[in-house]
Amino acid sequence: MSYCVNCGVELDASAEVCPLCGTPVLNPSDLKKIAEAQPPFPVEKSQVEAVKRKDLGVLLTIVVLAVAAVCVILNVCVFRENLWSLAVVGACVILWVFLEPFVLYTGQPIYLSLLGDGAAVIFLLYMITFLTEDDGWFAGLGVPLTLLVTAVVELFVLCIRRLPRSFLTAALYFFTAVGLLCAGIEFLTDRYVDGAVSLRWSAVVLTVCGILDITVITLLSRKRLRDSVRRRLHF
Amino acid sequence: MGTDADRATDNKVNRKRAERRDWYQLDLSAIVYPTLQRRDFSSVYRLSVVLKEDVRPQVLQQALDLTLPRFPTYKAAIRKGLFWRYLEPNDRPGPFVQEDVKNPCQPMYFKANNRYLVRVYYFRNRIALEAHHSLGDGTGGMCVLQTLTATYLRLLGHEGIENGGFVLDIHETPGEGELEDAYMRYANAKVHPPRPEEKAYRVRGTPEPFYTLNIIDGIMSVSQVMGVAKKYHATVTEYLNAVLLYALLQKQQDDGRRRQRPVKIAMPVNLRRFFPSVTLRNFITMIYPGVDPRLGEYTFEEIVLQVHNYMRYHLNEKLLRGDITTNAATQRNPLIRVVPLFIKDLVVRMFYTRVQDRNSSAGLTNMGALEVPEGMKPFIERFDIYMGQPFSRRTNCAVISFEDILTVNFASSIAETDVERYFFRRLVQDGIHVKIESNR
Repeated sequence: MSYCVNCGVELDASAEVCPLCGTPVLNPSDLKKIAEAQPPFPVEKSQVEAVKRKDLGVLLTIVVLAVAAVCVILNVCVFRENLWSLAVVGACVILWVFLEPFVLYTGQPIYLSLLGDGAAVIFLLYMITFLTEDDGWFAGLGVPLTLLVTAVVELFVLCIRRLPRSFLTAALYFFTAVGLLCAGIEFLTDRYVDGAVSLRWSAVVLTVCGILDITVITLLSRKRLRDSVRRRLHF
Repeated sequence: MGTDADRATDNKVNRKRAERRDWYQLDLSAIVYPTLQRRDFSSVYRLSVVLKEDVRPQVLQQALDLTLPRFPTYKAAIRKGLFWRYLEPNDRPGPFVQEDVKNPCQPMYFKANNRYLVRVYYFRNRIALEAHHSLGDGTGGMCVLQTLTATYLRLLGHEGIENGGFVLDIHETPGEGELEDAYMRYANAKVHPPRPEEKAYRVRGTPEPFYTLNIIDGIMSVSQVMGVAKKYHATVTEYLNAVLLYALLQKQQDDGRRRQRPVKIAMPVNLRRFFPSVTLRNFITMIYPGVDPRLGEYTFEEIVLQVHNYMRYHLNEKLLRGDITTNAATQRNPLIRVVPLFIKDLVVRMFYTRVQDRNSSAGLTNMGALEVPEGMKPFIERFDIYMGQPFSRRTNCAVISFEDILTVNFASSIAETDVERYFFRRLVQDGIHVKIESNR
């Protein structure tokens, strides 16, 4: 029978430390007793059965695979005008890649899922090149635009998850992302269409986003201002 | 204890024997528990009895197979309807007794374990029953556990264990009164008093993985605790409540936050004490004794007095009836009834996490002094009760006593033991001898 020197409670014979305060229980003449005593609780831990969420994933995979396979077979055997089934295959890939993080690999990092989404879109665009006469648009516009959107979304998610998060900071990241996205889109389309780059409509968007950003930054940095806005707009 | 009219209807309900039904409506509080179900949380509680001899698993399984059919609402599965969930009799094989584990009260998935919402464990000389709260409250669970224990002991050849109290006759057909939703019978006040809603202090700590349940049991003598409680002019429940409040106040002070909050305890009240009913389903309501440190510093005596007065004021048939009526009002509202289940789930879960869960700093339940049939007494050493995984990071405390042994069982999902330490040190300071057992 031992007592904790700190808490004054009696401890179980098998206790090596006091469960309440962590003070070691040490009686040099009685070391053997602790080793011999049986703990009051079982030692084995158990784990609950996992939830079977994979079923839905398997169903999704099978349906998507079946659709793609049937279209390819029809394309090869019946409707042979052009390679239309490639576009269907691309769409199936997109569907699978977009939904897979929700049903199959739920623990997958979101950045990886987003990268996968971008890759799937590029894959679909590549499949579509087989249906169009000229495929300059793919390398000139399709791939850069997809890369741009993916990069901006990744950055936005990174900011939301890593930097301090509140309603105002989220708005700041959002407006910045929208501005960057619009500027990028106009830059890429201009370069593809006539080679010369001049920002016109996106300049308007950029200005608006810039003003909004500055407002948000001011609100964020001035606590008094923030409080008074909150006071007047509370609901 | 309820009015004459209450007693008359109760007698009528109890006399009627129940027929086998294809489904049971969930009772008023059982509706909430499945809504809160998450991958890492279920409202599961555990009751266990420590015998004087080691448990024989095969015999225990036999006893379980004989006992459970007597409790139709425990031999049940939970299913989803379009508007509400419901219980369905479960005739699949099981539940099977299993060896106990270090981390009890793990989440209970509705579709796992052959859809049973009951688990029975054995460990050396201990039989433990875990049940999902949507089946019933501690009193119902205790009936199952004691009937199971009695059947087990009879199978071992011990004669002279009579039925009565928590031990039901397993050869009898269950009475209608045992399966009823007693809330609805008593939710008949003319007004709905508002619910108390104020954010209480919340214990913060390092969360442990969800499958961990840190247990600290304090075992003490009933007569000693009673003596100390009497010294403060309080009952044992009031005294232990006050000690827990004191521990939480100390913890809040330790945290060193600038803004203090009131410290409140969520305490389930067994309504069978106030309204005649023999139901084995849920029949409890919550009260929230507490103190507000923003009003000034409380001495321990003042905390005891505050809790004592609070209990005296709130624990009576009239106020409790109002409370039940308020709870039932939402469920009776026809506009709410026709809302599809998934929307109800969403709203209830939001209400619970935003309001109900923040309404209290810790939970404390007192099953009180347990009675067992005279013939069973020599075989039983003590009872334990755990409130199970807390919904948010905090500590739950459950008290039960049998003969002269009073056990205070803390269950928490955080690494820190500050609240427990303050709690038991206070008891030691008051001169109570406390023995600690833990699975940490």
